[in-house]
Amino acid sequence: MAKRVSAIVKLQVPAGKATPAPPVGPALGQHGVNIMAFVKEYNERTAAQAGLIIPVEITVYEDRSFTFVTKTPPAAVLLKKAAGLEKASGEPKAKKVAKIPRSKVREIAELKMPDLNAASVEAAMLMVEGTARSMGIEIVEG
Amino acid sequence: MVKWLEISVRTPVEGVERVSEILLEIGTGGVAIEDPAVILEYAARTQPEEWGVPEPAADGLPLVKGYLPLEEGLVRRVAELVESLDLLALSPAPEVSTREVMDEDWSNSWKAYYKPVQVGRRLVVKPSWEEYHARGWELVIEIDPGMAFGCGTHATTSLCLGLLEKYIRPGMTVYDIGTGSGILAVAAALLGAGQVTAVDIDPVACRTAGENIERNGVADRVGVVQGDLMNLLGAGADLIVANIIASVITGLAPQAAGALAPGGIFVASGIIRERAEEVVAAFTGAGLTVEEQLAEGPWVALAGKKQEL
Repeated sequence: MAKRVSAIVKLQVPAGKATPAPPVGPALGQHGVNIMAFVKEYNERTAAQAGLIIPVEITVYEDRSFTFVTKTPPAAVLLKKAAGLEKASGEPKAKKVAKIPRSKVREIAELKMPDLNAASVEAAMLMVEGTARSMGIEIVEG
Repeated sequence: MVKWLEISVRTPVEGVERVSEILLEIGTGGVAIEDPAVILEYAARTQPEEWGVPEPAADGLPLVKGYLPLEEGLVRRVAELVESLDLLALSPAPEVSTREVMDEDWSNSWKAYYKPVQVGRRLVVKPSWEEYHARGWELVIEIDPGMAFGCGTHATTSLCLGLLEKYIRPGMTVYDIGTGSGILAVAAALLGAGQVTAVDIDPVACRTAGENIERNGVADRVGVVQGDLMNLLGAGADLIVANIIASVITGLAPQAAGALAPGGIFVASGIIRERAEEVVAAFTGAGLTVEEQLAEGPWVALAGKKQEL
């Protein structure tokens, strides 16, 4: 059906566990989108990734119908999971809170490749390492 | 009743990920991100004629929003947020603002946007939760807004419905190309078509169309086919309707002409005004005579006729 895009909404919500409560409700409600239809479809599509926060970009059309694409989880979320961290370091330079092996960084970089503006896995690894450093996570060989 | 505290953090681009993370850490359970870069990225990949999003402010920094329920521990959690944001040492420093948000039944409040609407002379489109008492001559299409369908009032749909009303005769064989919600296929059946084939390349649309066809009790006359619209056209249709976009319709015109029986009608909508001439030329090139051209706002719909034998 022909129609124009009227809004792009970007959210990060738990995989398989989205609800109509904020932030989903207010973000989509203001565009008159069927929130339950979104929640149901999002939870179905992300069920396999339960436990992770997944970014989702919703395209809303003039007639209030919509489509959406899910992205790979944020690097910070994957790093915390890999390091078994609840919370990143407040002072990443002074206070290191965890260590992860470089092989894990590669794994995360490979997973995130589709969403990163990186020419190679090595370049993607540098980005992931940068995020790790900003969280007080040390990279060790292995 | 106030129930939520909306926390908005304006941050430089490089801080979006960490700010989102910190909001999640204090328990917001999710975030909404308004990022001008994302809007511009989508704008760049979308045809200008299909783009109606207001331009973001050129110097606008991204905004990350999270919500916390108004309950004990809120002050401590917001303090924690401010402290964590300070430690990020971003430049310019993130700005935090908060406002209280009324509680709402989010799973139902969006329904306020939808009411039964009359389209054309006889057709009424209504969502399932609304009561509507049809007058004798009216045909009611019941469709719930979902992913593939918003409201039947959008000009491209209503123009099409108007043309279907005019050209459909009892017993006709109709193809609906790019059916989406199935609204046009349902309308065709209600208007008397004998056999309707609804085609869409998108499986979500096909599923939705199937549900809507079922809901309106026309499944005996309407079939749904998933696939590439160009390849599915057999010959012998009395009317083909396609509410897509100008460029697709231009390419589709020769196939449509081939699939129409002599004297058959091709109804095309979703044509932006600036490209209407192009589509008219494609119609003519394909041997279709433009019988009618309707316009509403920036949108144009055409009805073209294949020569009688």
